[in-house]
Amino acid sequence: MLLMVCITLFLYTAALALANGTRLHSETLLISAEYFIPFIAWLVGTLVVQRNIRRKLPNRDPWILPTAAGLAGLGMLTIWRLSPELGLKQSAWFLLGCGLFLIALNITDLIKILKTYKYVWLLLGLILIGLTFIIGVNPTGSGQRLWLRIFDFYIQPSEPLKLLLIIYLAAFFADQIRPNVSWLSSVFPTLVVVGFAGLLLIAQRDLGTASLFIILYVLMLTVTTQRRRLLWVIPALAFLAGTIGYFAFDVIKTRVDIWLNPWLDTSGNAWQLAQAQIAIASGGLIGTGPGLGSPQFVPVAVSDFIFTTIGEELGLLGTSAVLLLLLVLVIRGINIALSSKTTFGRYLAFGISAYFALQSIFIIGGNLGLLPLTGVTLPFLSYGGSSLITNILAVLLLLRISTETSPEDIPEKVRSPYRWVTAIIAGSFMLIAVWNGYLAFPNQEELIARAENPRWAVYDRYSPRGEIYALSGEKLVEVHGTSGSYELWVNEPQLSNTLGYAHPAYGQSGLQSSQYALLRGYAGVPWEIRRQHELLYNQPPAGLDIKLAINMALQNKADELLGDHKGAIVLSNAQTGEIYAIASHPSFDANTMSEIWESLMQRTDAPLLNRATQGSYPLGTLASTLAYGSLIQSNHAFDLGSSQDLFRLDPYCYRAMQNENASLNAFQFGCESVAEEILGVTDPTLLQADLEAFGLFSAPDLAIETAQPSPALTVEQLDQNPLLVMDITVSPLQMAMVAAAITNDGVRPEPALVNSYLTPEGDWQALGPGKTVTAVYTPSLAAEIQADLRSSTQTIWYQTGHALINQKEPLTWYIGGTTPEWSATPLAIAIAIEEDASDLALTIGNTLLNLSATN
Amino acid sequence: MNAMTGLVLRILLFISLYAFLGVAVWLLWKSVTGARLRGGTIAIPILTLATTIDSEQIIQSYTSSDVLIGRNPDCDLVLVDETVSGRHGRLTYHLNQWWYEDLKSTNGSWLDDLKIEEPIVVKDNDSIYCGDAVLKIYIKPLK
Repeated sequence: MLLMVCITLFLYTAALALANGTRLHSETLLISAEYFIPFIAWLVGTLVVQRNIRRKLPNRDPWILPTAAGLAGLGMLTIWRLSPELGLKQSAWFLLGCGLFLIALNITDLIKILKTYKYVWLLLGLILIGLTFIIGVNPTGSGQRLWLRIFDFYIQPSEPLKLLLIIYLAAFFADQIRPNVSWLSSVFPTLVVVGFAGLLLIAQRDLGTASLFIILYVLMLTVTTQRRRLLWVIPALAFLAGTIGYFAFDVIKTRVDIWLNPWLDTSGNAWQLAQAQIAIASGGLIGTGPGLGSPQFVPVAVSDFIFTTIGEELGLLGTSAVLLLLLVLVIRGINIALSSKTTFGRYLAFGISAYFALQSIFIIGGNLGLLPLTGVTLPFLSYGGSSLITNILAVLLLLRISTETSPEDIPEKVRSPYRWVTAIIAGSFMLIAVWNGYLAFPNQEELIARAENPRWAVYDRYSPRGEIYALSGEKLVEVHGTSGSYELWVNEPQLSNTLGYAHPAYGQSGLQSSQYALLRGYAGVPWEIRRQHELLYNQPPAGLDIKLAINMALQNKADELLGDHKGAIVLSNAQTGEIYAIASHPSFDANTMSEIWESLMQRTDAPLLNRATQGSYPLGTLASTLAYGSLIQSNHAFDLGSSQDLFRLDPYCYRAMQNENASLNAFQFGCESVAEEILGVTDPTLLQADLEAFGLFSAPDLAIETAQPSPALTVEQLDQNPLLVMDITVSPLQMAMVAAAITNDGVRPEPALVNSYLTPEGDWQALGPGKTVTAVYTPSLAAEIQADLRSSTQTIWYQTGHALINQKEPLTWYIGGTTPEWSATPLAIAIAIEEDASDLALTIGNTLLNLSATN
Repeated sequence: MNAMTGLVLRILLFISLYAFLGVAVWLLWKSVTGARLRGGTIAIPILTLATTIDSEQIIQSYTSSDVLIGRNPDCDLVLVDETVSGRHGRLTYHLNQWWYEDLKSTNGSWLDDLKIEEPIVVKDNDSIYCGDAVLKIYIKPLK
């Protein structure tokens, strides 16, 4: 038996030792030999114990030691994997535990001594707990002060107290001639003791242990008095205590709240629980492989949450094995109780088994979100010397009791409550396994895809992301380094808004986020290669490179022209919607995220916002362009040539006209009075259809995040107040597509940012062919609008407009495009500048459109 | 190299882990079903106790394996007699016998004229003296 456990643990050790080399894709065999330290410590300790008990306890139960030792070894290795420092300490604790085991093994009438001096043990336990009130500390420096410090070691008295209390209760009940539920003789004295211990723990805010005691007490009362009905006290008590605690203690309230809904507050209290579930999901059926997962993302994975580490790295198979090992231990323990010669032995063995079972259920249930989280340890596995040594000594007691068996069968009446408790425990374990399976399968995809899952950052270090290119091959984002230290480097930091960042602490944005599947090697890579990488390395394969439609010459010019002004530019191909330049200022440098994050967060000018796509600006006087088509369609007489005298020139459009000093077209320069007049005489039904067709009420289908579209206006609303059109909020990207529709014979394309990706075979595969186009106007209507907006000197059309952001900050619009006389690719542009700068907008627009002819 | 070796080790790890668990669970299962085949519950010969207190005859039969005798009302057989202790003695069935055990009673228990110090086996038609009370024991043999 023990040999099989040795082999299993050796294999686990060897797999852990290979993990680092695997992660780095090492060609040669790379072994991290330090994993053999805990293994050897375990082997030595276990074999010495085994040799001694073989001699001293020949008739012991054969299953207790292998299962308990197996669990302890698994724990030591897993702790080492999470933190070699704590792993070393745990190994030392284990050896110390084995030493104490051997010493206690030599006390032949140990059980009798325990029974005789029951009050001494009880008092000892209570004094230890009491001491924590006076000289208690917390190794982390803050939080509950549940530890006692002896030199450089910390012990947690509530751990031995659990065992001491079980010994006391077993001895007390065994002394009773016939334990029954009579208030005075049995319930009262024990209740006082348990209640006192419970109160001490509640005062210490160690509520997990307190509730554990109470349930343990009820279970022991049930088997000693042979009253099955007492089991109903547990759910009743739990409910009562939970409800009272919910309102009385903040700790309980938070715990219960996050238990009921762990996803509400994942950045705060529920972070741990959310991470725990994600870790379990990441493990799936067979796990990521020992040492290959990222279980350290779960806070305190070494102690309270060690189960999630096993769940991640060994998967459902691993956690089921742990549950089975614990269950075997518990059931063997209860069997020992049933065949014990003395009643004290019976109650003690039962108490210890129930203690193992309850601790496991409490903490695993808490880890998986089945129960409110209580900070009890997982027997044998969790980091913690007090807990490990207590458990080792409990095993010694079980072994000792198992040698003193009675050959006779015990009556059904006595056996029945043990059966019930066993069935309830086994049922709870089963429920835990099923829920674990649910997290690891049906819920897996959803959990892994959650924003709280930071594992992608680890993948990025070990397996390169795809790089990002501009259309003519300039590298926009590069990957530097080798496996284990890959890093992204943005060559064109002014494009950071669009390219986005992928920072372990701050997450992902822009294209890095939206093109994650391609860049990270999930999409476009054959399924079997992906599977192979996951199985072997727990990493996705190298990501695929993508190419954007961006033209760097135009992009650089756009950035230069916009300069320090707040605003955005989108320049696109009017026919295909391909975006040649996209600028959003102010921007940031994605390469320096770690240094600038704090200041970015404090800035009021929102540098992280991509104004080109996420900006939400009021349409303002540009509304006139959108209404103009419907005006012509309804054959309304509206002579622009003569209109100039009729309309008041507001300062904005007047200045724009002055700068251009060409045609005095009040419509082209976005005078408020013109916009109001046009909106006022337009047929609302036609206008509504046009606004809809221009895509003002729908988010553009783009590779990066876009602004929430404005709610659609109804015909009735437009009929009542046509000026509402001026308040519609749009992004520069949407307006670029409006300009594209006017330029491109009335047909609006969908914008396209990503051009293609590089397949693993080395071909550029075009993305997004066959995107939908929407016909807004007939070609003749589009031509007519263009004609009224065309430049007097160049082969372009344009219109400026202005609006007030939030009714106070000025905003200047510019949209434009090429006219049919233009010989090259038709272009469309939209510019938004968050100031009163029509001259600047005109300069940028006209310069960019003209520059495009040469690029 | 590492990756392939690691994968093989992982597979072997699961095999050996579940081999161990398989054997453990199988043996556990066998012991459970084995216990059931042996009967699980054991038949207890019905015990009948007869006594006379204040010239009133009491006869009671018991099917349980544990009968407590004494003056306390929570006893299975209540003997209202000043010479009987609160919890005087108990009869338990184990190792296919009924045993009588004195619970450190003040006046002691006697089988005929033998003072009962250690638990002893009682037979059909035995008489036990608890203080002044005489307890006649009838055991209906099992079929």
